[in-house]
Amino acid sequence: MFVWNKDDLNDEQVDAIRQAGNVFLEACPGSGKTRTLTYKIALELSKLTDEKKWIVAITYTNRAADEIRERIELLGVETSQLWIGTIHSFCLEWIIKPYGLYHDRLKNGFKVINSYDSEDIITNICLGLRPQQYITYYQCSHFYTPTGLNITGSGGSLATSVLEAYHQHLDNNHQIDFEQILYFSYELLRNKVAISKILSNLFSYFFIDEYQDTKEIQYSIVASIMRANPSKVTTFIVGDPNQAIYTSLGGYAIAHTELESLTAASFASMSLDKNYRSSLKIIEYYRNYNVSPSATSAEGSERDYQSIITYDQVTHKDDLVEQVSRYIEHNIENFNIPERDICVIAPWWTHLAALTRNLVNRLPQYSFDGPGLVPFSRDLENFWYKLTRIILTEPSPSMYVKRLRWASEILYDLEIAMVDIAPFTSKELLKSINSISIDEEDGITYLCYFFDELFKRLGVEYSLYPMLQEHYESFLSSTEDRIDRLRRDSEEFATDIEAFRRAFKPRSGIKVSTIHGVKGGEYDAVISFGLLEGLVPNFNDSSEDSAKKLLYVIGSRARKNLHLISERGRMLGYSPNQTERTSTKALQRVQFPYDHFV
Amino acid sequence: MHISSLNLINYRNFKNVKLNFNKGINTVIGENASGKTNLFRALRLLLDNSMPRSSTKLSEGDFCRALGSWKGHWIIISCEFDDISSDEASQSLFLHGNGNIEGEEEMVTKATYNLIFRPKAHIRQAISTIPVGDTPALEEYLNDISTDDYETVLTGKSTANFADPEVYKAIVGDFDAVVFPNELNNPEIGIRLPYILNMPNEVSFTYIKALRDVVSDFHNNRTNPLLTLLKSKSGEISPEDFQPIAELIRTLNENIEGLNDVCDVRDDIASTVGDTVGDTYSPNSVSIRSSLTDDSDQLFQSLKLFVAESNDGYEGAIHEMSLGGANLLYLTLKILEFKYQNSNQSIANFLLIEEPEAHIHTHIQKSLFDNIKYENTQIIYSTHSSHISEVSNIRNMNIIGLVDGNCEVFQPAKGLTKEQSGFVQRYLDAIRSNLLFARSVILVEGDAEEILIPVLFKKSTGISLDEMGISLVNIRSTGFENIAMLFNDERIRKRCSIITDLDSAFFNTEIQEQDSEALKNKKRKAKGSEESGANRKLILDQFCDNNPWLSPFYAKHTFEVDFIKCSNSVYLKNVVENVYVDPATRVTAKEDLSKADIATSGMRALTMANHQGKGWFAITLGKAINFKVVIPEYILEAIKFAHVEFDSVLTFKILSYRFNSIKEHVAEGKKHIEKADADGDMNLKARCEAYLLPLETGIEVFAPKWDVFDSATDDINEIKASFIADFPTENHHLLERI
Repeated sequence: MFVWNKDDLNDEQVDAIRQAGNVFLEACPGSGKTRTLTYKIALELSKLTDEKKWIVAITYTNRAADEIRERIELLGVETSQLWIGTIHSFCLEWIIKPYGLYHDRLKNGFKVINSYDSEDIITNICLGLRPQQYITYYQCSHFYTPTGLNITGSGGSLATSVLEAYHQHLDNNHQIDFEQILYFSYELLRNKVAISKILSNLFSYFFIDEYQDTKEIQYSIVASIMRANPSKVTTFIVGDPNQAIYTSLGGYAIAHTELESLTAASFASMSLDKNYRSSLKIIEYYRNYNVSPSATSAEGSERDYQSIITYDQVTHKDDLVEQVSRYIEHNIENFNIPERDICVIAPWWTHLAALTRNLVNRLPQYSFDGPGLVPFSRDLENFWYKLTRIILTEPSPSMYVKRLRWASEILYDLEIAMVDIAPFTSKELLKSINSISIDEEDGITYLCYFFDELFKRLGVEYSLYPMLQEHYESFLSSTEDRIDRLRRDSEEFATDIEAFRRAFKPRSGIKVSTIHGVKGGEYDAVISFGLLEGLVPNFNDSSEDSAKKLLYVIGSRARKNLHLISERGRMLGYSPNQTERTSTKALQRVQFPYDHFV
Repeated sequence: MHISSLNLINYRNFKNVKLNFNKGINTVIGENASGKTNLFRALRLLLDNSMPRSSTKLSEGDFCRALGSWKGHWIIISCEFDDISSDEASQSLFLHGNGNIEGEEEMVTKATYNLIFRPKAHIRQAISTIPVGDTPALEEYLNDISTDDYETVLTGKSTANFADPEVYKAIVGDFDAVVFPNELNNPEIGIRLPYILNMPNEVSFTYIKALRDVVSDFHNNRTNPLLTLLKSKSGEISPEDFQPIAELIRTLNENIEGLNDVCDVRDDIASTVGDTVGDTYSPNSVSIRSSLTDDSDQLFQSLKLFVAESNDGYEGAIHEMSLGGANLLYLTLKILEFKYQNSNQSIANFLLIEEPEAHIHTHIQKSLFDNIKYENTQIIYSTHSSHISEVSNIRNMNIIGLVDGNCEVFQPAKGLTKEQSGFVQRYLDAIRSNLLFARSVILVEGDAEEILIPVLFKKSTGISLDEMGISLVNIRSTGFENIAMLFNDERIRKRCSIITDLDSAFFNTEIQEQDSEALKNKKRKAKGSEESGANRKLILDQFCDNNPWLSPFYAKHTFEVDFIKCSNSVYLKNVVENVYVDPATRVTAKEDLSKADIATSGMRALTMANHQGKGWFAITLGKAINFKVVIPEYILEAIKFAHVEFDSVLTFKILSYRFNSIKEHVAEGKKHIEKADADGDMNLKARCEAYLLPLETGIEVFAPKWDVFDSATDDINEIKASFIADFPTENHHLLERI
């Protein structure tokens, strides 16, 4: 059985791991949530005696899944009986693929379309309604609940009909989108009780990370599997209700009692409330944005750090680059904080992309890791993106296991696309990729040549397989779009293959990220701008709680210093009726003796 | 859990067959080359983890030749499982991949597992776009296809009944009408098995191949069943047990190395090297080491089995054993291997035994069959031994047979009640179970028919019924229906003729006042027989009605009477001496037999048969019969029905036989003439010459035609017609009817 070193975990964490039965764990920021989860999975894997059972862990992102798997492997625990991935991968692998023939929409085969295509199709439908009717993609945002479609966009009945047309389009083309993966899985489980029964016999443990961002339909999927065999499947769910920032997509932090009634099982309610990350001053500050009561004590090495917390409401948006640069320089020069421990956060990607490129020019001595630097679309679910990821990472012993896993994902996708994959193994695929060399400078052209050569060697004509072809077109057009956009901003933007390669190099430098993208991260100094009504909180979920949770996430990322900016000059609406966006109310309501920045 | 059925579509010699299996022991019987091994191979592709992974990639040769062009067609090997328990956790992975969720309760009640070899998706896509009915376009497209354009998919949860040709058309396409499905994924063929499920790993499956060259199997380390057994145990030896042995080996090695002679050789090598090449270039040291291994795996390879077969206590090595003994041993070790495997955690256990009868003595075969029974294990035997089929339950039996050149599979007990199949079961002894192997069957109910029909046929055609694949079975007093019910569309689709007597009276049964009491009784009895015969016919006709596989044929009276009726009295006259001793009776008998009126001659034939006993009389008569015998019409018709068609090859053989017989007959006759000449019996000589003349003329006319006849190109009916014409005095009833 897996045993850990005494110093690896604190008492709270050990208690959570040792707790028998179902566990409902609330973990405050910096409390070692991922570590606890990792050790718990490792422990349960090592206790697993039945070689025909699996431990399933649902993470919010593929990146988190990879990270946890690698950490477990580093702990020396065999992971062949671990299934870890996002809820979408889970549904696809365990429900849609094996049981799809019991669903009318899936039984004749299906192609999974990615979010880019989805946006494209809906946008086209919206454009088709003009000029008689005006509606945008964002007004059609929606998600599924167990009772059906829930439209969160402001499009009203027009959005309903747009989505009807959208779903009809998908149906006609045998396509399903990410939301439907969840909904159809839910329907399958609801209509065929045998499925839950079989799955419940296959899984010994269910782990759910970041439960606060989990949707009702996802809870229902897990619950129906649990209910089928309450004595056999044990569930461990962990998250932080204060960081529930995906409410607009349907995510919510389920209450302990609701979870128990949904799953018809009892959960031991536990918590991790020792923050090992931030200084006491930072903790005291971000706790102003609690929406759910939490007791957090500072336990980390920076506990007594004399943090600087500033709030700037005067800087104009045109001076943001200058102001942010000054914060960066100040932290590096005066506090000896390394580049990689600084993070710039804003709510919207568009504001960050421009800012990053300007920061690169303004601070040429520092390096940056952020959006607007990568020349192609990072659509994680696109087949060709996944393939590009293998192509553009250098083979090396340390990357071998990871690349091999990516290669098996490629095979998996090829099979969904109905390619006969019996002739190749993931190793052979990797070998073919490594052996191809293309003499070409331009990034996109390089990739196209590479794709052609690879498929020639595999003996597969990819254009004959509709799903591959659709993804191909989508990958190329979104990448071209992106390059065009970046070129418009900056003419010297590099699109050679080396620039493409950099996108997959290990990141270094100052991190630039959206609030949603910074989840789980921690930095000595955090600089955040765009703290304005309509952005924080976002227009599609304008509650004060929503703003508080975003601020909570921003604040709790910082170990030492925190710099908040509600810049001036961001306009709302179109001229001549433009108004200037105001500072986030939730932020203004907090009375705090901010430090003065000199 | 067990396999309940297996469907083979376009696989090897099976165009489309379905086998049914039950829990426990099952038998697959069939003549040689009927495809029993192919059938087992199909099962092994699905379930045997000793098959290489690449074997599921099928090849051109795996397509059924009866298809004509295979291009575009699919091979489907589909298997269904029964006795599924959806609650058992150990079966969950299997159910996840293969369990069919069906019915009102939406529960898993059965599971399916298919291997499908089909064109890749883009090929199917392309075929589906060919316009309906456009045969040239289809042919042109298919022409370029090779098996490289094919993929193997393993699926579970299928619902299609592949055995139905219409279903095949709906899923694969209609190649004649050129109609192909638009949807590339038909949910009826099920869904691909998930990666995590590898069926051969889930079940324990042992295949014992036909025992042909057992000794060489024992010599090969890979196939030696003893080594497999030992290997499975060698890992379990405790270090405490093995350590002393390893010590002994080390000591042994040292002792050998220390032998004076060994040391001498070593020293001599060293000194010779030094002397030859000089110290500079010679190796620094030389030693001779004994390398008896102390590795348990390798050590076990040196273990050999010795068996005492005889009472003298001598234990011989395998190659010294009798063939039967070695085979038995091999079988035993394989079964033990299965037992070891069986104790692993598998969701089902399968034991396939191919032709256990090869070289194993009959009575051992029987007990083998009775004794190999394991809990929770499905055993499937293939056999062509009637001895094994005799002891196997016909409810668990599949028969592979050729019908019109195609392999088909029959379940002899399908649709029968338990009583019915129990009856058949008891009835099928070693001899009668032949009917399960035959291509066609003739059922008779008397000894005379059983003995004489094969003789009649052989003597008049030169061909035995066995060669024709016809099994003649005497059902004695069992009643035809009980056996004949095996032959119908549902069960055995082979032809079966029934030969029985109508028992019509062959003399006047009107009772006259002057008749003696005995005669009156005889007439009453005959009348009674006639009535019950007519009744039997009514019932039997009705029983056979609408069954294309079954037909009754009636002797108008009874075999002996009908035999003599068709101008065969000469043979009966020839055996009078064998039947009667009394000279007076002999004379009367011959007189009676010469009468044209069957009331007299027929009665005499019957009396003779009864006098000697019908069976014995038949043997006597059989010896006397020659090629000129006339096969009674109803018997010939029965044979024709069973065999369907006398093709040109067969006709040629018969013709050739009959021509040679005539020639021999003439040669024989010539000897008689010489003898008569020598005896001075001119009368006899003249009669003989008169008799032989047309035959000799016939030979003269026919021989040149026969010599130039080429059976491959010329018309057999033409040469047959001239044969008939050239021998006008011969009885050609047989030739005229085939």
